[in-house]
Amino acid sequence: MKRVGVFVCECGTNIGSVVDAPKVAETALNMPGVAFATSYKYMCSDPGQDLIIKAAEDHNLEQVVVASCSPRMHENTFRKAMSAAGLNPYQFEMVNIREHVSWVHSDKDEATQKAIDLVRMAVAKVVRNKPLQVSYIPVTKKALVIGGGIAGMQAALDIAETGHQVILVEREPTIGGKMAQLDKTFPTMDCSA
Amino acid sequence: MVAVAQHPNIKLYSYSEVVGLSGYIGNFTVTIKEKAKYVDYDKCTGCGLCETKCPSRVKSEFDLGLGERRAIYKAFPQAVPNKPVIDADNCRKLQSGKCGICEKLCPTKAINFEDQDRLVTEEVGAIVMATGYDLFEWEKAYGEYGYGKYPDVISGLHFERLVNASGPTGGKIQRPSDGKIPQAVAFIKCVGSRDDTKGKSYCSRACCMYTAKHAMQVVEKIPDGDAYVFYMDVRTAGKGYEEFYQRSVEQGAQYIRGRVSKIYPRGDRLVVKSEDTLMGKPIEVEVDMVVLATAMVPAAGSAEVAKLIGFSTDKDGFFQEAHPKLQPVETFTGGVYLAGSCQGPKDIPDTVAQASAAAVKVAALFSKDKLATEPMIAYVDETKCTGCEFCVPVCPYQAISMKPVKSRVHGQTVERQVAEVNKGLCQGCGACVAACRPCALNHNGFTSDQIVSEVDALCL
Amino acid sequence: MSVETSKGWEPKIVAFACNWCSYAGGDLAGLNRLQYPSNVRIIRVPCSGRIDPQFILRAFMMGADGVLVSG
Repeated sequence: MKRVGVFVCECGTNIGSVVDAPKVAETALNMPGVAFATSYKYMCSDPGQDLIIKAAEDHNLEQVVVASCSPRMHENTFRKAMSAAGLNPYQFEMVNIREHVSWVHSDKDEATQKAIDLVRMAVAKVVRNKPLQVSYIPVTKKALVIGGGIAGMQAALDIAETGHQVILVEREPTIGGKMAQLDKTFPTMDCSA
Repeated sequence: MVAVAQHPNIKLYSYSEVVGLSGYIGNFTVTIKEKAKYVDYDKCTGCGLCETKCPSRVKSEFDLGLGERRAIYKAFPQAVPNKPVIDADNCRKLQSGKCGICEKLCPTKAINFEDQDRLVTEEVGAIVMATGYDLFEWEKAYGEYGYGKYPDVISGLHFERLVNASGPTGGKIQRPSDGKIPQAVAFIKCVGSRDDTKGKSYCSRACCMYTAKHAMQVVEKIPDGDAYVFYMDVRTAGKGYEEFYQRSVEQGAQYIRGRVSKIYPRGDRLVVKSEDTLMGKPIEVEVDMVVLATAMVPAAGSAEVAKLIGFSTDKDGFFQEAHPKLQPVETFTGGVYLAGSCQGPKDIPDTVAQASAAAVKVAALFSKDKLATEPMIAYVDETKCTGCEFCVPVCPYQAISMKPVKSRVHGQTVERQVAEVNKGLCQGCGACVAACRPCALNHNGFTSDQIVSEVDALCL
Repeated sequence: MSVETSKGWEPKIVAFACNWCSYAGGDLAGLNRLQYPSNVRIIRVPCSGRIDPQFILRAFMMGADGVLVSG
């Protein structure tokens, strides 16, 4: 059996005022594979992340589910906490009980039930997660700038100043673009060329 | 401009276009077509003798038809590179085989009528798009302004050429029809901008300011000159902008709030008919020239180049940024950044700011020796893959290719084709996984097993 | 509507939402505090293209009353 830790965030009152976080954690304890579950005021804070790191050690966790805000917000935060806990960062799933639950529902029972369902879903998913490794690709340190107007020239110069090679492609016989056609330019009225 | 040409780290391909691109962030291969210039830039000194003797005269694109150029030409005297090209369509030698005066005259024998388009390839790690804008073709949309048949109804860019010291009139404001100095000039703002029915719904942002500048230049340069500015709103959100606009008013530019409904000729002058909405009555002004502040639209060919590089455009054809507030210079394609008005109408200060922002994004990318790739992408179980190739066209990122593998079947070695996912190109959409009939493709982090178990857990 | 009917039978709806658009749209609904019925359960997928018809059939098979695919 996998050993999953479930952490339910209250996000101050953002989640806690609608979703009964301790109840969600308590229910999660009975889900298959869950070895530890708790709720906390702010999971994304340092003490919140430390909670994951400590629980991972104390309960020998393999996988973690955090029920809090949108993964688009803090997925990376918790992936880093996973690494800090000595776990693979991809043995992690996030449950969105703020944007998708507490902020859009007002009935506490219904919202808590939905949060429980979503946690159950994430636990079912996380036990099937595999440790994944980030792979690396090389970087060719040369830039292509397409267009030799003021935007292209400025970008090319700035990149060139950082010491990297730049290829500037302009379809007209001369660079300068529209700006070269202009007379004095506002608001300073200096010349454009 | 000169700084660009002289910078040791910048390699300039002028008169060239990007015609091919493959690869992915950090590892692009780009094909550039260098159009035939018919001038050997290694030999040419840019002396300009050829230009003075060329017998073919054509309208100058740079001066928007207000001036002339030759068939061998520099767009303008300060062009970079400061060397000419031959416009093959208008060159007598290239069209009919007779002439070749430039070749005879050239002191360094730089003219080469045999020159051909050349394709070169370059390896790059990042791309900055800076393809700019064109002006909305008001001639096709605005019948009430004459569909372009009145020569003295011009665009703001034409006006720039007229006031430019190195322009066709040497900086003297002369109207195109007869060269007379216009005593009264009307400016019409929002031509094609903020006009859903005939033009574009958006505000082109720079026009309020350059019109203020134009009006100021009319008042300054023409003794007793009158500048009438017809406007819907005056938008001057920018540092020092409102003060600049107020200066134009103080110097005598007359602002009239109203949309011009008609322009028609009377004698050799033009009558501008509008309503003064602040006074609540119709107004007619007789002027010598009308300058239209036309909308900015994406540069010709931007849709093609967006498709070639592989990123999306917005409803108006401008290049789509990854996020309007938080990722204004990134695109959805890794390693491709946006600078300037190709992303949306903007003025020079904003363009410069965005170009520097794009440069920093590139510099940040180049500060790494290698890039971490997201592991939540598709992978192939080669034992299950039948080599049907169904996934290959399904992939929107061209990340799947076929590769041969050898396996032992009944004691014999057989070679067969299986799918392979390129880790740099794969964006992890999973479309191939859904399409794979033998279930050989799966998705790290979103395996079919995982999603089904989520469904099951929900439907308990 | 009486209280009884609104507290009566509620359909169970499974929604497959693309991470980049619809899921983000769900987030936006949250940011704007737009209230909607709580019987929708969202499954995050990397793209609507990832959705295998089998997932939808599976949901119906397991007792879902409605499936929303959005991307």
